[in-house]
Amino acid sequence: MKHRMTHIVLLLLAVCNMTAQTIISGTVTDGKERLVGANVFVLGTIDGCLTDSLGRFSFSTSQMGETTLKVTFIGYDDFTLVADASQLHDLSIRMNERASTIDEVVVSASTFSFGKSEHFKTMDALDVVMAGNSCGDIVAALQTLPGTQTVGEDGKLYVRGGESEECQTFINGMHVLVPYSTNTENTAVRGRFSPFLFKGINFSLGGYSGEYGQALSSVLPMETADMATSDKYGVSASLVDWNIGGTKAFTTSSLSFNAALTSMGLYDRLFSQRQDFTRPYRKLSGEAQYKKEYGNTGVLKSYVGYDLTSVGLHTDERNLSLKEHNFYANVTYKASMGRGLTFFTGIANSSVFGDIDNAVTSGDHYHNFRNEVHLKTEIRKVCSETLKLSTGVEDYIRSSHLSFAPYRYHLDYNILAAHADAQWRVFPHVFLNVSSRVECMRNDWLLLPRTTLSYIPNKSVQFSFVAGRYSQMAKDDYLAQGLNSLSQSTADHLILSMQYKSKATLLRIEPYWKEYHHLPFMEHAVCQPHGYGTSKGVDVFLEDHSLMRNLTTTVSYSYNDSKRLYLDYTEIRTPDYASRHNLRLTAKYAIGKTIVGLTDSYTSGRVFPHGTTPYYNSVDVNLTYLLSPKVIVYTSLNNVLGRTNIFRYDSAGSPVTASRDRFFYIGIFVSLKNNKAYDISNF
Amino acid sequence: MTSQISKQLAAIIVFVFIQVINIQAQQPSADDMLNHVARLKRIEAMQPDSIGPKYQLALQSLNFAVMYPHAPQTENVLAQAEQTIGQMAKMKGADQSDLCTLNGFLYMVRIVQNPAQNGQRYYIDVMQAFEKALKLNPDNDLARQLQQKFLEGMKQATER
Repeated sequence: MKHRMTHIVLLLLAVCNMTAQTIISGTVTDGKERLVGANVFVLGTIDGCLTDSLGRFSFSTSQMGETTLKVTFIGYDDFTLVADASQLHDLSIRMNERASTIDEVVVSASTFSFGKSEHFKTMDALDVVMAGNSCGDIVAALQTLPGTQTVGEDGKLYVRGGESEECQTFINGMHVLVPYSTNTENTAVRGRFSPFLFKGINFSLGGYSGEYGQALSSVLPMETADMATSDKYGVSASLVDWNIGGTKAFTTSSLSFNAALTSMGLYDRLFSQRQDFTRPYRKLSGEAQYKKEYGNTGVLKSYVGYDLTSVGLHTDERNLSLKEHNFYANVTYKASMGRGLTFFTGIANSSVFGDIDNAVTSGDHYHNFRNEVHLKTEIRKVCSETLKLSTGVEDYIRSSHLSFAPYRYHLDYNILAAHADAQWRVFPHVFLNVSSRVECMRNDWLLLPRTTLSYIPNKSVQFSFVAGRYSQMAKDDYLAQGLNSLSQSTADHLILSMQYKSKATLLRIEPYWKEYHHLPFMEHAVCQPHGYGTSKGVDVFLEDHSLMRNLTTTVSYSYNDSKRLYLDYTEIRTPDYASRHNLRLTAKYAIGKTIVGLTDSYTSGRVFPHGTTPYYNSVDVNLTYLLSPKVIVYTSLNNVLGRTNIFRYDSAGSPVTASRDRFFYIGIFVSLKNNKAYDISNF
Repeated sequence: MTSQISKQLAAIIVFVFIQVINIQAQQPSADDMLNHVARLKRIEAMQPDSIGPKYQLALQSLNFAVMYPHAPQTENVLAQAEQTIGQMAKMKGADQSDLCTLNGFLYMVRIVQNPAQNGQRYYIDVMQAFEKALKLNPDNDLARQLQQKFLEGMKQATER
């Protein structure tokens, strides 16, 4: 009897327990497809499950009465349903895709981002070093991208039919007056900054926001690496350059230095060339950086760099001798002040002294000094998930002195600017960026409105329409010849950007149109702001990782139709630096410890008064080998086929070519600190 | 943020998972791990203002990703981990050493997913994150063990 009673009690308890369990079931979709792996649960408990391959869920809960059911799935807004537990069965739940917040969205129109300034990076310093024929030069590496044009005789960045001066470089938001090293005429120069300095490189081919000014065509903002966390030291050597540097890390700060000597002396002895150098090209560089973190909110970054370049060339019966001192320093401070507010301030100084003996005729002397102080302050505020604002002021204080007897000039001027920028998520997938920049020089005011409208339906597709006005003061030489009549040149940009991105493929197509006003134009030996021009074209970029495992291929094509009345042109015509078609094909393949790269660059002929140059073509190969965890060997051969490319025709109609058809580079990079393998950066 | 006990426990959990990766018979199934991550998400939803559950959620999400780097759910789980780490970074009282550890682990998973491409790309980030984590808290066992595991992995990969 006792046993029977026990069984009855247990049975009753079991039945009671069974009735206390409520089954919650249903399906989860996004309106079109079933969502697999959505987390469905009763809020405040761990009762729940993941949806199965058909989007179905079913679980039991002991919750009774009013119950909050929650469904979460990455990329979708959380779904919440409050109802009596007994009613939560056979549910049909539809989740809505989560709209990106204004802080998350990255509008990529007209911009190529490398490094990791925001999200996961797509390319870093090593990619720059290993790009085709770059030999570690950022500027050369960027020339594998669409929108850039090959101008072999100076190697600088020419973007979408614009002059090289129309592309301006910024480090940590601060302007760099002369971002290139120097060399004799008709010899390609290099960017003066090591790619290893930077954690992020953003190359904007046009349509940039109000923060950036004094650039008619494009900007190249670069962000230096964060404070180092440990000591590191390294050396590198090649046939043309030798480098030593290191970083000492402290608790909340780090100090880095780097010294490099570039000399073509050994290379010139080993390999023949067309030019007759009386003194080989030499550049002695020194760089130092100090970074300090203030808690988790403030970061101070400072950089100072100095280059001394010298070269001697026997040309036209004279011994030309060139020497340049190039100094650049900047200090920036960025602080997060809470509530979405960020404060930024910085100061930069660029000083360049250039001297050339026998510049044009024997016995002459050319001297040029250029200086710029750039001051900048900015405040950024993330107001909500849909609105972000920023505003700032900056001042460019410039002076320039040139003497080339009997000609000489001295210039002092400053350009004061302010900007306001609003980024607004108008609708869940529609983003609007409106900015306005005001510049004042010699009481001439200029208003520069800019806007970008983007439709980003999902992570794969972006459409953007960009319109804006950009300005830039003419080069000091033209400004001096302008007798105070020269005003700022302006350019109106219209860009349509279409991008498709999947895990293995990136396709971007960008037609653009630019119209130039107030370009410097020589009238009766005086430079007047009466030049004008247009530049239109389309850029196509395709990157693919799907052809073969560990193989990355890119196709980069640019069509440009540019015309302008400019400087000493007698009629409106295609500028001689502009080429109509530019095509670059690259392939990079990783096999174990080796990475092999292959690049083909094609550029159609350029038009000169003496005729059109033949097309340019160069096939370049490079190889990177990890000799040991602390030793990397890099080698490249440019223009493997040895084609003699004619860059331009000089005023006498003679073809201008590179000093040598092929260029071979081999370098070894050694990390000296034990735990810093695979790292050839000294910063 | 998290107590030393829970950190050591977390380190043990991580290394138990990593160690068993080669022992197929003992490897927890993807479904089991996903269910575990989902349970942690529910606990995190119960205490949205607490850092501890977020830490565990991010850590277990990364555990799943490192064990199943190419599973169909991995990208979503990684996105969840990244989002959770981002939320932790904005919270008052978040332990910076733990945050650095999780960030380093996140980059480490990216390397596991595609060593050829991401090895050179994220190597420095992983190293710096673990170094910073240890600088901020020399007793951070998880950071130390992950760093050691990472260096061993890189050594094996480059000596092949």
